[in-house]
Amino acid sequence: MSTPGALPLTDNKPRAFPGRRAFRGTSPLAVVFSVVLLAFYSTTFLIPFGVGIWLSFQNWDFIVDPKYVGWRNYERALNDPYFWDAVKKSVIFSIGEISIALCLTLILAFILSRLKSVPQRLLLGLFYLPVITPSVVTVLLWRWLYLPTNGGFNAALSRFGFPTQGFMNDSQQALWCIVAMVVWANFGVGTVLYLAGINEIPDSITEAATLDGANSLQLFFGIILPLLRPIIFFNVVVSIIATVQMFEQFYLISGPGNSTRTLAVYTYELGFRSVDLGYGAAVSMLMFIGLLGVTIIQFWRFRSAVD
Amino acid sequence: MATSSLPVRKRLFRAEHAPQIAVLFVLGLVCLITIYPFLWLIFSSFKTNKDIITPPIQLLPREWTTSAYRLVWTNANMPRAIANSLLVSGVIVLSVMFTSALGGFVFARLKFPGKNVLFIFILSTTMIPFMTLLIPLYLVMRELDVLDTYIAVVLPALISSFGIFLCRQFVYGIPGELFDAAKLDGAGDFRTFITIALPLMRPVLSALAIFTFLGAFNGYLWPLVVLNNPDLYTLPLVLAGLSGASGTVNYEAVMAGSVISTIPMLIVYLLFQRNFVRGVALSGIKG
Repeated sequence: MSTPGALPLTDNKPRAFPGRRAFRGTSPLAVVFSVVLLAFYSTTFLIPFGVGIWLSFQNWDFIVDPKYVGWRNYERALNDPYFWDAVKKSVIFSIGEISIALCLTLILAFILSRLKSVPQRLLLGLFYLPVITPSVVTVLLWRWLYLPTNGGFNAALSRFGFPTQGFMNDSQQALWCIVAMVVWANFGVGTVLYLAGINEIPDSITEAATLDGANSLQLFFGIILPLLRPIIFFNVVVSIIATVQMFEQFYLISGPGNSTRTLAVYTYELGFRSVDLGYGAAVSMLMFIGLLGVTIIQFWRFRSAVD
Repeated sequence: MATSSLPVRKRLFRAEHAPQIAVLFVLGLVCLITIYPFLWLIFSSFKTNKDIITPPIQLLPREWTTSAYRLVWTNANMPRAIANSLLVSGVIVLSVMFTSALGGFVFARLKFPGKNVLFIFILSTTMIPFMTLLIPLYLVMRELDVLDTYIAVVLPALISSFGIFLCRQFVYGIPGELFDAAKLDGAGDFRTFITIALPLMRPVLSALAIFTFLGAFNGYLWPLVVLNNPDLYTLPLVLAGLSGASGTVNYEAVMAGSVISTIPMLIVYLLFQRNFVRGVALSGIKG
Protein backbone atom coordinates (compact mmCIF):
# COMPACT_ATOMS: atom_id res chain seq x y z
CA MET A 1 0.00 0.00 0.00
CA SER A 2 1.39 3.36 -0.93
CA THR A 3 -0.30 5.29 1.85
CA PRO A 4 1.42 8.63 2.33
CA GLY A 5 3.67 8.57 5.34
CA ALA A 6 3.67 4.78 5.55
CA LEU A 7 6.74 3.49 7.31
CA PRO A 8 8.73 0.45 6.30
CA LEU A 9 7.79 -2.63 8.30
CA THR A 10 11.41 -3.41 9.05
CA ASP A 11 14.42 -1.18 9.36
CA ASN A 12 16.90 -2.50 6.85
CA LYS A 13 20.01 -1.36 8.61
CA PRO A 14 23.04 -3.52 7.88
CA ARG A 15 23.84 -5.76 10.81
CA ALA A 16 26.97 -4.29 12.31
CA PHE A 17 27.56 -6.98 14.90
CA PRO A 18 26.95 -10.45 13.56
CA GLY A 19 26.84 -13.53 15.76
CA ARG A 20 27.01 -13.25 19.52
CA ARG A 21 27.88 -9.61 19.36
CA ALA A 22 24.38 -8.98 17.98
CA PHE A 23 23.30 -8.98 21.60
CA ARG A 24 25.43 -5.91 22.32
CA GLY A 25 23.17 -3.01 23.26
CA THR A 26 20.19 -5.30 23.82
CA SER A 27 17.78 -3.69 26.23
CA PRO A 28 16.62 -5.85 29.17
CA LEU A 29 13.21 -4.20 28.90
CA ALA A 30 12.91 -5.38 25.29
CA VAL A 31 13.84 -8.93 26.29
CA VAL A 32 11.26 -9.06 29.09
CA PHE A 33 8.59 -7.62 26.82
CA SER A 34 9.45 -10.05 24.02
CA VAL A 35 9.03 -12.97 26.41
CA VAL A 36 5.61 -11.64 27.47
CA LEU A 37 4.60 -11.21 23.82
CA LEU A 38 5.77 -14.70 22.90
CA ALA A 39 3.86 -16.22 25.81
CA PHE A 40 0.70 -14.32 24.92
CA TYR A 41 0.76 -14.98 21.19
CA SER A 42 1.61 -18.63 21.74
CA THR A 43 -1.39 -19.09 24.01
CA THR A 44 -3.93 -17.16 21.98
CA PHE A 45 -2.75 -17.62 18.36
CA LEU A 46 0.04 -20.07 17.69
CA ILE A 47 -1.18 -22.98 19.81
CA PRO A 48 -4.88 -22.53 18.92
CA PHE A 49 -3.98 -22.28 15.24
CA GLY A 50 -1.91 -25.47 15.49
CA VAL A 51 -4.67 -27.18 17.47
CA GLY A 52 -7.13 -26.04 14.80
CA ILE A 53 -5.10 -27.63 12.02
CA TRP A 54 -4.67 -30.84 14.04
CA LEU A 55 -8.35 -30.86 14.96
CA SER A 56 -9.46 -30.51 11.35
CA PHE A 57 -7.97 -33.98 10.71
CA GLN A 58 -9.73 -35.56 13.68
CA ASN A 59 -13.18 -36.71 14.63
CA TRP A 60 -14.06 -35.52 18.11
CA ASP A 61 -17.29 -34.99 20.03
CA PHE A 62 -15.88 -34.65 23.61
CA ILE A 63 -17.34 -38.09 24.45
CA VAL A 64 -15.02 -40.49 22.62
CA ASP A 65 -11.31 -39.70 22.26
CA PRO A 66 -10.25 -37.81 19.10
CA LYS A 67 -9.67 -40.11 16.13
CA TYR A 68 -7.51 -39.33 13.10
CA VAL A 69 -9.59 -39.34 9.90
CA GLY A 70 -7.18 -37.88 7.34
CA TRP A 71 -8.67 -35.48 4.84
CA ARG A 72 -12.19 -36.79 5.41
CA ASN A 73 -13.46 -33.62 7.12
CA TYR A 74 -12.34 -31.52 4.16
CA GLU A 75 -13.87 -33.95 1.66
CA ARG A 76 -17.05 -33.86 3.68
CA ALA A 77 -17.13 -30.05 3.54
CA LEU A 78 -16.66 -29.99 -0.22
CA ASN A 79 -19.61 -32.39 -0.61
CA ASP A 80 -21.77 -30.76 2.06
CA PRO A 81 -24.66 -28.76 0.54
CA TYR A 82 -25.08 -26.87 3.84
CA PHE A 83 -21.43 -25.78 3.69
CA TRP A 84 -21.76 -24.44 0.16
CA ASP A 85 -25.05 -22.79 1.04
CA ALA A 86 -23.33 -21.08 3.98
CA VAL A 87 -20.48 -19.97 1.70
CA LYS A 88 -23.04 -18.55 -0.71
CA LYS A 89 -24.84 -16.67 2.07
CA SER A 90 -21.56 -15.24 3.41
CA VAL A 91 -20.45 -14.11 -0.06
CA ILE A 92 -23.81 -12.53 -0.97
CA PHE A 93 -24.00 -10.82 2.40
CA SER A 94 -20.45 -9.54 2.24
CA ILE A 95 -20.63 -8.23 -1.34
CA GLY A 96 -24.11 -6.78 -0.80
CA GLU A 97 -23.27 -5.01 2.43
CA ILE A 98 -19.91 -3.67 1.25
CA SER A 99 -21.14 -2.35 -2.12
CA ILE A 100 -24.25 -0.67 -0.71
CA ALA A 101 -22.29 0.81 2.18
CA LEU A 102 -19.52 1.98 -0.17
CA CYS A 103 -21.90 3.91 -2.46
CA LEU A 104 -23.83 5.39 0.47
CA THR A 105 -20.80 6.43 2.51
CA LEU A 106 -18.93 7.95 -0.45
CA ILE A 107 -21.95 10.07 -1.39
CA LEU A 108 -22.52 11.12 2.21
CA ALA A 109 -18.86 11.95 2.77
CA PHE A 110 -18.81 14.05 -0.42
CA ILE A 111 -21.97 15.91 0.57
CA LEU A 112 -20.69 16.47 4.13
CA SER A 113 -17.37 17.76 2.82
CA ARG A 114 -19.22 20.58 1.01
CA LEU A 115 -21.00 21.66 4.20
CA LYS A 116 -19.83 24.18 6.75
CA SER A 117 -18.10 22.79 9.82
CA VAL A 118 -20.98 23.05 12.32
CA PRO A 119 -23.67 21.16 10.34
CA GLN A 120 -20.93 18.77 9.23
CA ARG A 121 -20.02 17.92 12.81
CA LEU A 122 -23.63 17.61 13.93
CA LEU A 123 -24.57 15.27 11.07
CA LEU A 124 -21.43 13.22 11.59
CA GLY A 125 -22.28 12.88 15.27
CA LEU A 126 -25.78 11.69 14.35
CA PHE A 127 -24.56 9.20 11.73
CA TYR A 128 -22.16 7.78 14.27
CA LEU A 129 -24.86 6.92 16.82
CA PRO A 130 -25.69 3.50 15.27
CA VAL A 131 -21.97 2.64 15.33
CA ILE A 132 -21.70 3.08 19.08
CA THR A 133 -24.94 1.20 19.72
CA PRO A 134 -24.02 -2.29 20.97
CA SER A 135 -24.53 -4.80 18.17
CA VAL A 136 -26.82 -6.97 20.29
CA VAL A 137 -29.06 -3.94 20.89
CA THR A 138 -29.16 -3.24 17.15
CA VAL A 139 -30.09 -6.81 16.34
CA LEU A 140 -32.82 -7.11 18.98
CA LEU A 141 -34.27 -3.72 18.04
CA TRP A 142 -34.33 -4.51 14.31
CA ARG A 143 -35.74 -7.95 14.98
CA TRP A 144 -38.75 -6.23 16.45
CA LEU A 145 -38.89 -3.55 13.71
CA TYR A 146 -38.97 -6.36 11.13
CA LEU A 147 -41.88 -8.25 12.76
CA PRO A 148 -44.42 -8.88 9.98
CA THR A 149 -47.63 -8.22 11.93
CA ASN A 150 -46.82 -5.63 14.56
CA GLY A 151 -43.31 -4.40 13.81
CA GLY A 152 -42.22 -0.80 13.39
CA PHE A 153 -41.42 -0.98 9.67
CA ASN A 154 -44.73 -2.47 8.58
CA ALA A 155 -46.48 0.09 10.80
CA ALA A 156 -44.84 2.85 8.74
CA LEU A 157 -45.45 1.09 5.41
CA SER A 158 -49.16 0.56 6.03
CA ARG A 159 -49.59 4.12 7.34
CA PHE A 160 -48.35 5.49 4.01
CA GLY A 161 -50.36 3.01 1.98
CA PHE A 162 -47.53 0.67 0.95
CA PRO A 163 -48.03 -3.11 1.04
CA THR A 164 -46.61 -4.69 4.19
CA GLN A 165 -43.62 -7.01 3.84
CA GLY A 166 -42.66 -10.39 5.26
CA PHE A 167 -39.12 -9.19 6.11
CA MET A 168 -37.36 -11.83 8.22
CA ASN A 169 -40.20 -14.33 7.73
CA ASP A 170 -39.70 -14.25 3.97
CA SER A 171 -36.76 -16.45 2.97
CA GLN A 172 -36.19 -14.27 -0.13
CA GLN A 173 -35.94 -11.07 1.90
CA ALA A 174 -34.32 -12.26 5.12
CA LEU A 175 -30.67 -11.99 4.09
CA TRP A 176 -31.22 -8.54 2.56
CA CYS A 177 -32.96 -7.42 5.73
CA ILE A 178 -29.75 -8.22 7.60
CA VAL A 179 -27.74 -6.39 4.93
CA ALA A 180 -29.90 -3.30 5.53
CA MET A 181 -29.49 -3.62 9.29
CA VAL A 182 -25.69 -3.91 9.09
CA VAL A 183 -25.44 -1.02 6.62
CA TRP A 184 -27.46 1.08 9.08
CA ALA A 185 -25.25 0.01 11.97
CA ASN A 186 -21.91 0.73 10.27
CA PHE A 187 -22.29 3.47 7.65
CA GLY A 188 -20.96 6.02 10.13
CA VAL A 189 -17.52 4.39 10.04
CA GLY A 190 -17.11 4.66 6.28
CA THR A 191 -18.53 8.18 6.22
CA VAL A 192 -16.04 9.43 8.82
CA LEU A 193 -13.19 7.63 7.10
CA TYR A 194 -13.91 8.98 3.62
CA LEU A 195 -14.68 12.45 4.93
CA ALA A 196 -11.27 12.48 6.63
CA GLY A 197 -9.78 11.40 3.30
CA ILE A 198 -11.56 14.15 1.35
CA ASN A 199 -10.50 16.76 3.92
CA GLU A 200 -6.88 15.69 3.41
CA ILE A 201 -7.06 16.61 -0.27
CA PRO A 202 -5.39 20.04 -0.63
CA ASP A 203 -7.87 22.85 -1.40
CA SER A 204 -5.64 23.96 -4.27
CA ILE A 205 -6.49 20.79 -6.23
CA THR A 206 -10.26 21.06 -5.88
CA GLU A 207 -10.16 24.83 -6.47
CA ALA A 208 -8.14 24.38 -9.64
CA ALA A 209 -10.70 21.87 -10.93
CA THR A 210 -13.57 24.21 -10.08
CA LEU A 211 -11.81 27.08 -11.86
CA ASP A 212 -11.49 24.88 -14.92
CA GLY A 213 -15.28 24.61 -14.87
CA ALA A 214 -15.69 21.17 -13.31
CA ASN A 215 -19.09 20.66 -11.74
CA SER A 216 -19.71 18.67 -8.56
CA LEU A 217 -20.07 15.35 -10.37
CA GLN A 218 -16.87 15.85 -12.35
CA LEU A 219 -15.09 16.91 -9.18
CA PHE A 220 -16.29 13.76 -7.42
CA PHE A 221 -15.49 11.25 -10.17
CA GLY A 222 -12.45 12.97 -11.64
CA ILE A 223 -10.58 14.18 -8.56
CA ILE A 224 -11.93 12.89 -5.27
CA LEU A 225 -12.66 9.27 -6.12
CA PRO A 226 -9.21 8.53 -7.62
CA LEU A 227 -7.48 10.20 -4.67
CA LEU A 228 -9.53 8.19 -2.18
CA ARG A 229 -8.59 4.88 -3.79
CA PRO A 230 -6.06 3.77 -1.17
CA ILE A 231 -8.53 4.45 1.66
CA ILE A 232 -11.38 2.73 -0.18
CA PHE A 233 -9.17 -0.27 -0.85
CA PHE A 234 -8.08 -0.48 2.78
CA ASN A 235 -11.65 -0.17 4.05
CA VAL A 236 -12.98 -2.81 1.63
CA VAL A 237 -10.35 -5.35 2.71
CA VAL A 238 -11.08 -4.70 6.39
CA SER A 239 -14.83 -4.90 5.70
CA ILE A 240 -14.59 -8.24 3.91
CA ILE A 241 -12.85 -9.80 6.90
CA ALA A 242 -15.30 -8.16 9.32
CA THR A 243 -18.55 -8.98 7.48
CA VAL A 244 -17.69 -12.64 6.91
CA GLN A 245 -17.09 -13.03 10.65
CA MET A 246 -20.27 -11.30 11.83
CA PHE A 247 -22.12 -13.57 14.19
CA GLU A 248 -24.82 -12.14 16.44
CA GLN A 249 -26.22 -10.26 13.43
CA PHE A 250 -27.35 -13.66 12.15
CA TYR A 251 -27.50 -15.78 15.28
CA LEU A 252 -30.03 -13.59 17.10
CA ILE A 253 -32.29 -12.72 14.15
CA SER A 254 -32.25 -15.74 11.86
CA GLY A 255 -34.62 -16.04 8.91
CA PRO A 256 -36.54 -19.21 8.00
CA GLY A 257 -34.53 -22.40 7.41
CA ASN A 258 -31.03 -21.84 6.08
CA SER A 259 -31.89 -18.47 4.55
CA THR A 260 -29.47 -16.55 6.78
CA ARG A 261 -27.02 -19.25 7.90
CA THR A 262 -23.57 -17.92 7.05
CA LEU A 263 -20.19 -19.61 7.48
CA ALA A 264 -19.67 -17.94 10.86
CA VAL A 265 -22.98 -19.26 12.21
CA TYR A 266 -22.34 -22.69 10.66
CA THR A 267 -18.92 -22.89 12.34
CA TYR A 268 -20.42 -21.99 15.70
CA GLU A 269 -23.23 -24.51 15.31
CA LEU A 270 -20.85 -27.29 14.33
CA GLY A 271 -18.53 -26.59 17.24
CA PHE A 272 -20.94 -25.78 20.05
CA ARG A 273 -24.32 -27.20 19.02
CA SER A 274 -23.63 -30.48 17.20
CA VAL A 275 -20.22 -30.70 18.99
CA ASP A 276 -18.67 -31.92 15.73
CA LEU A 277 -15.34 -30.32 16.63
CA GLY A 278 -13.18 -31.79 13.87
CA TYR A 279 -15.58 -30.88 11.11
CA GLY A 280 -16.17 -27.43 12.60
CA ALA A 281 -12.40 -26.84 12.66
CA ALA A 282 -12.12 -27.96 9.01
CA VAL A 283 -14.90 -25.57 7.96
CA SER A 284 -13.25 -22.70 9.83
CA MET A 285 -9.88 -23.54 8.21
CA LEU A 286 -11.52 -23.35 4.78
CA MET A 287 -12.92 -19.97 5.82
CA PHE A 288 -9.40 -18.80 6.74
CA ILE A 289 -8.00 -20.00 3.40
CA GLY A 290 -10.81 -18.30 1.52
CA LEU A 291 -10.36 -14.98 3.33
CA LEU A 292 -6.60 -15.13 2.89
CA GLY A 293 -7.06 -15.78 -0.83
CA VAL A 294 -9.47 -12.87 -1.23
CA THR A 295 -7.12 -10.54 0.66
CA ILE A 296 -4.10 -11.56 -1.42
CA ILE A 297 -6.03 -11.13 -4.69
CA GLN A 298 -7.22 -7.71 -3.52
CA PHE A 299 -3.68 -6.60 -2.68
CA TRP A 300 -2.38 -7.94 -5.98
CA ARG A 301 -5.12 -6.22 -7.98
CA PHE A 302 -4.59 -2.98 -6.09
CA ARG A 303 -0.85 -3.05 -6.64
CA SER A 304 -1.13 -3.75 -10.36
CA ALA A 305 -3.75 -0.99 -10.67
CA VAL A 306 -1.45 1.53 -9.00
CA ASP A 307 1.68 0.64 -11.01
CA MET B 1 -15.29 32.89 -17.24
CA ALA B 2 -16.51 35.74 -15.06
CA THR B 3 -19.63 34.11 -13.66
CA SER B 4 -19.05 30.46 -14.46
CA SER B 5 -15.90 30.42 -12.38
CA LEU B 6 -17.85 31.02 -9.18
CA PRO B 7 -18.01 28.02 -6.88
CA VAL B 8 -21.08 25.91 -7.53
CA ARG B 9 -22.62 26.36 -4.12
CA LYS B 10 -22.96 30.16 -4.50
CA ARG B 11 -25.36 29.96 -7.45
CA LEU B 12 -28.48 29.55 -5.38
CA PHE B 13 -31.20 30.67 -7.76
CA ARG B 14 -30.25 29.09 -11.07
CA ALA B 15 -30.92 25.81 -12.83
CA GLU B 16 -28.35 24.37 -10.41
CA HIS B 17 -31.07 24.58 -7.79
CA ALA B 18 -32.03 20.96 -8.46
CA PRO B 19 -28.84 19.32 -7.14
CA GLN B 20 -29.15 21.30 -3.90
CA ILE B 21 -32.68 20.05 -3.36
CA ALA B 22 -31.49 16.53 -4.12
CA VAL B 23 -28.69 16.92 -1.56
CA LEU B 24 -31.08 18.17 1.11
CA PHE B 25 -33.45 15.31 0.30
CA VAL B 26 -30.69 12.70 0.63
CA LEU B 27 -29.45 14.17 3.91
CA GLY B 28 -32.97 14.38 5.30
CA LEU B 29 -33.73 10.81 4.34
CA VAL B 30 -30.52 9.48 5.86
CA CYS B 31 -31.18 11.41 9.09
CA LEU B 32 -34.70 10.01 9.24
CA ILE B 33 -33.52 6.44 8.67
CA THR B 34 -30.81 6.89 11.30
CA ILE B 35 -33.20 8.21 13.93
CA TYR B 36 -36.30 6.09 13.21
CA PRO B 37 -35.16 2.88 15.00
CA PHE B 38 -33.95 4.88 18.01
CA LEU B 39 -37.33 6.60 18.36
CA TRP B 40 -39.06 3.23 18.54
CA LEU B 41 -36.46 1.98 21.00
CA ILE B 42 -36.85 4.88 23.41
CA PHE B 43 -40.63 5.19 23.29
CA SER B 44 -41.21 1.44 23.42
CA SER B 45 -39.11 1.17 26.56
CA PHE B 46 -41.80 3.24 28.31
CA LYS B 47 -44.63 0.98 27.16
CA THR B 48 -46.03 -2.23 28.56
CA ASN B 49 -45.54 -5.42 26.59
CA LYS B 50 -49.22 -5.42 25.64
CA ASP B 51 -48.98 -1.85 24.40
CA ILE B 52 -45.97 -2.72 22.21
CA ILE B 53 -47.63 -5.57 20.32
CA THR B 54 -51.29 -4.51 20.23
CA PRO B 55 -52.39 -3.23 16.81
CA PRO B 56 -52.63 -0.58 15.60
CA ILE B 57 -48.95 -0.09 16.37
CA GLN B 58 -48.18 3.44 17.46
CA LEU B 59 -44.93 5.18 18.26
CA LEU B 60 -45.95 6.97 21.46
CA PRO B 61 -46.97 4.94 24.50
CA ARG B 62 -50.71 4.81 25.14
CA GLU B 63 -49.79 4.97 28.80
CA TRP B 64 -46.33 5.98 30.00
CA THR B 65 -44.81 3.54 32.46
CA THR B 66 -41.37 2.67 33.82
CA SER B 67 -42.42 -0.87 34.69
CA ALA B 68 -40.07 -2.33 32.06
CA TYR B 69 -37.07 -0.62 33.64
CA ARG B 70 -38.02 -1.82 37.09
CA LEU B 71 -38.53 -5.31 35.70
CA VAL B 72 -35.11 -5.66 34.05
CA TRP B 73 -33.33 -3.94 36.91
CA THR B 74 -34.67 -6.31 39.55
CA ASN B 75 -35.42 -9.55 37.70
CA ALA B 76 -32.83 -9.75 34.96
CA ASN B 77 -29.65 -9.34 37.00
CA MET B 78 -28.93 -6.14 35.09
CA PRO B 79 -26.77 -4.43 37.78
CA ARG B 80 -24.52 -7.48 38.04
CA ALA B 81 -24.26 -7.67 34.24
CA ILE B 82 -23.23 -4.01 34.05
CA ALA B 83 -20.60 -4.59 36.75
CA ASN B 84 -19.32 -7.67 34.87
CA SER B 85 -19.12 -5.79 31.59
CA LEU B 86 -17.37 -2.80 33.15
CA LEU B 87 -14.87 -5.05 34.92
CA VAL B 88 -14.08 -7.10 31.84
CA SER B 89 -13.77 -4.14 29.49
CA GLY B 90 -11.87 -2.11 32.08
CA VAL B 91 -9.21 -4.79 32.47
CA ILE B 92 -8.94 -5.23 28.69
CA VAL B 93 -8.67 -1.48 28.02
CA LEU B 94 -5.96 -0.92 30.68
CA SER B 95 -3.97 -3.92 29.51
CA VAL B 96 -4.22 -3.02 25.82
CA MET B 97 -3.24 0.61 26.46
CA PHE B 98 -0.18 -0.32 28.52
CA THR B 99 1.06 -3.15 26.28
CA SER B 100 0.42 -1.19 23.08
CA ALA B 101 2.27 1.86 24.35
CA LEU B 102 5.17 -0.22 25.63
CA GLY B 103 5.18 -2.30 22.45
CA GLY B 104 5.18 0.80 20.29
CA PHE B 105 8.15 2.17 22.23
CA VAL B 106 10.07 -1.12 22.26
CA PHE B 107 9.66 -1.80 18.55
CA ALA B 108 10.32 1.77 17.45
CA ARG B 109 13.20 2.71 19.75
CA LEU B 110 15.01 -0.30 21.23
CA LYS B 111 17.46 -2.75 19.71
CA PHE B 112 17.23 -6.45 20.34
CA PRO B 113 17.84 -9.59 18.31
CA GLY B 114 14.84 -10.97 16.46
CA LYS B 115 12.99 -7.66 16.60
CA ASN B 116 11.84 -7.62 12.98
CA VAL B 117 10.85 -11.28 12.99
CA LEU B 118 8.82 -10.80 16.16
CA PHE B 119 7.09 -7.72 14.78
CA ILE B 120 6.16 -9.38 11.50
CA PHE B 121 4.90 -12.39 13.45
CA ILE B 122 2.67 -10.11 15.56
CA LEU B 123 1.28 -8.42 12.45
CA SER B 124 0.66 -11.75 10.74
CA THR B 125 -1.61 -12.89 13.59
CA THR B 126 -4.14 -10.30 12.45
CA MET B 127 -4.57 -12.32 9.25
CA ILE B 128 -6.14 -15.20 11.15
CA PRO B 129 -9.88 -14.64 11.52
CA PHE B 130 -11.25 -15.05 15.03
CA MET B 131 -13.84 -17.54 13.73
CA THR B 132 -10.98 -19.86 12.74
CA LEU B 133 -9.55 -19.73 16.25
CA LEU B 134 -12.92 -20.00 18.00
CA ILE B 135 -13.12 -23.78 18.54
CA PRO B 136 -9.40 -24.41 19.24
CA LEU B 137 -9.17 -21.34 21.50
CA TYR B 138 -12.08 -22.76 23.48
CA LEU B 139 -10.14 -26.03 23.81
CA VAL B 140 -7.04 -24.15 25.00
CA MET B 141 -9.12 -22.38 27.67
CA ARG B 142 -10.51 -25.78 28.66
CA GLU B 143 -6.96 -27.15 29.00
CA LEU B 144 -5.96 -24.12 31.09
CA ASP B 145 -9.01 -24.83 33.24
CA VAL B 146 -10.26 -21.24 33.08
CA LEU B 147 -13.61 -21.84 31.32
CA ASP B 148 -16.49 -20.05 33.01
CA THR B 149 -14.23 -17.41 34.61
CA TYR B 150 -13.49 -13.76 33.89
CA ILE B 151 -9.96 -14.85 32.93
CA ALA B 152 -11.23 -16.76 29.90
CA VAL B 153 -13.26 -13.73 28.79
CA VAL B 154 -10.38 -11.25 28.93
CA LEU B 155 -7.34 -13.40 28.12
CA PRO B 156 -7.44 -13.37 24.27
CA ALA B 157 -7.96 -9.59 24.25
CA LEU B 158 -5.22 -8.49 26.67
CA ILE B 159 -2.74 -7.54 23.92
CA SER B 160 -3.70 -5.97 20.61
CA SER B 161 -1.50 -6.40 17.53
CA PHE B 162 -3.23 -3.46 15.96
CA GLY B 163 -2.58 -1.33 19.04
CA ILE B 164 1.14 -2.15 19.01
CA PHE B 165 1.32 -1.34 15.30
CA LEU B 166 -0.51 1.96 15.77
CA CYS B 167 1.72 3.05 18.68
CA ARG B 168 4.90 2.02 16.86
CA GLN B 169 4.00 4.26 13.93
CA PHE B 170 3.30 7.05 16.39
CA VAL B 171 6.62 6.68 18.26
CA TYR B 172 8.49 6.80 14.93
CA GLY B 173 7.04 10.28 14.51
CA ILE B 174 8.54 11.51 17.80
CA PRO B 175 11.90 13.32 17.28
CA GLY B 176 14.76 11.06 18.38
CA GLU B 177 16.53 13.92 20.18
CA LEU B 178 13.96 13.76 22.96
CA PHE B 179 14.94 10.17 23.73
CA ASP B 180 18.66 10.84 23.33
CA ALA B 181 18.42 13.66 25.87
CA ALA B 182 16.81 11.33 28.41
CA LYS B 183 19.51 8.75 27.79
CA LEU B 184 22.25 11.34 28.37
CA ASP B 185 20.59 12.15 31.68
CA GLY B 186 21.11 8.53 32.61
CA ALA B 187 17.47 7.38 32.38
CA GLY B 188 16.93 3.67 31.74
CA ASP B 189 14.69 2.39 28.95
CA PHE B 190 11.66 1.95 31.15
CA ARG B 191 12.03 5.41 32.67
CA THR B 192 12.43 6.92 29.21
CA PHE B 193 9.24 5.16 28.20
CA ILE B 194 7.29 6.39 31.23
CA THR B 195 8.57 9.97 31.28
CA ILE B 196 9.09 10.77 27.57
CA ALA B 197 7.10 8.42 25.32
CA LEU B 198 3.96 7.79 27.36
CA PRO B 199 2.89 11.44 27.83
CA LEU B 200 3.46 12.18 24.14
CA MET B 201 1.35 9.18 23.11
CA ARG B 202 -1.78 10.47 24.78
CA PRO B 203 -3.76 11.23 21.57
CA VAL B 204 -3.16 7.84 19.97
CA LEU B 205 -3.75 6.04 23.27
CA SER B 206 -7.08 7.75 23.92
CA ALA B 207 -8.35 6.80 20.47
CA LEU B 208 -7.15 3.24 20.99
CA ALA B 209 -8.78 3.10 24.43
CA ILE B 210 -12.17 4.09 23.07
CA PHE B 211 -12.15 1.51 20.30
CA THR B 212 -10.94 -1.19 22.63
CA PHE B 213 -13.69 -0.30 25.09
CA LEU B 214 -16.35 -0.41 22.36
CA GLY B 215 -15.21 -3.82 21.21
CA ALA B 216 -14.82 -5.28 24.70
CA PHE B 217 -18.10 -3.90 26.03
CA ASN B 218 -20.08 -5.11 23.02
CA GLY B 219 -18.44 -8.52 22.62
CA TYR B 220 -21.02 -11.29 22.38
CA LEU B 221 -19.64 -14.44 20.73
CA TRP B 222 -16.60 -15.10 22.92
CA PRO B 223 -18.35 -14.58 26.30
CA LEU B 224 -21.22 -16.72 24.95
CA VAL B 225 -18.78 -19.54 24.25
CA VAL B 226 -16.75 -19.49 27.47
CA LEU B 227 -19.35 -18.48 30.10
CA ASN B 228 -21.96 -20.76 31.62
CA ASN B 229 -22.59 -19.20 35.00
CA PRO B 230 -25.33 -16.52 34.62
CA ASP B 231 -23.72 -14.54 37.46
CA LEU B 232 -20.71 -13.87 35.23
CA TYR B 233 -22.74 -12.92 32.14
CA THR B 234 -21.80 -9.66 30.47
CA LEU B 235 -24.45 -7.18 29.37
CA PRO B 236 -24.86 -8.41 25.77
CA LEU B 237 -25.42 -11.97 27.03
CA VAL B 238 -28.05 -10.90 29.55
CA LEU B 239 -29.71 -8.73 26.94
CA ALA B 240 -29.84 -11.51 24.37
CA GLY B 241 -31.22 -13.76 27.12
CA LEU B 242 -34.12 -11.32 27.66
CA SER B 243 -35.30 -11.87 24.13
CA GLY B 244 -35.98 -15.42 25.23
CA ALA B 245 -35.33 -18.62 23.39
CA SER B 246 -38.77 -19.84 24.45
CA GLY B 247 -40.80 -18.21 21.68
CA THR B 248 -42.71 -15.54 23.56
CA VAL B 249 -40.59 -12.44 23.66
CA ASN B 250 -40.88 -9.92 26.43
CA TYR B 251 -40.43 -6.83 24.27
CA GLU B 252 -40.75 -4.28 27.04
CA ALA B 253 -37.82 -5.92 28.84
CA VAL B 254 -35.77 -6.08 25.63
CA MET B 255 -36.38 -2.40 24.91
CA ALA B 256 -35.62 -1.17 28.44
CA GLY B 257 -32.57 -3.44 28.65
CA SER B 258 -31.36 -2.12 25.31
CA VAL B 259 -31.65 1.48 26.46
CA ILE B 260 -29.72 0.64 29.63
CA SER B 261 -27.01 -1.15 27.61
CA THR B 262 -26.59 1.74 25.22
CA ILE B 263 -26.21 4.40 27.92
CA PRO B 264 -22.58 3.56 28.93
CA MET B 265 -21.58 3.69 25.25
CA LEU B 266 -23.38 6.98 24.80
CA ILE B 267 -21.60 8.52 27.80
CA VAL B 268 -18.19 7.43 26.53
CA TYR B 269 -19.08 8.71 23.07
CA LEU B 270 -20.26 12.12 24.23
CA LEU B 271 -17.20 12.55 26.48
CA PHE B 272 -14.68 11.61 23.80
CA GLN B 273 -16.44 12.50 20.56
CA ARG B 274 -13.39 14.17 19.04
CA ASN B 275 -11.19 11.20 19.77
CA PHE B 276 -13.78 8.90 18.21
CA VAL B 277 -13.66 10.71 14.92
CA ARG B 278 -9.89 10.94 14.99
CA GLY B 279 -9.68 7.27 15.90
CA VAL B 280 -11.76 6.23 12.91
CA ALA B 281 -9.71 8.41 10.63
CA LEU B 282 -6.60 6.87 12.14
CA SER B 283 -7.61 3.28 11.89
CA GLY B 284 -10.74 2.76 9.83
CA ILE B 285 -11.65 -0.01 12.19
CA LYS B 286 -14.56 -0.26 14.51
CA GLY B 287 -13.91 -2.04 17.82
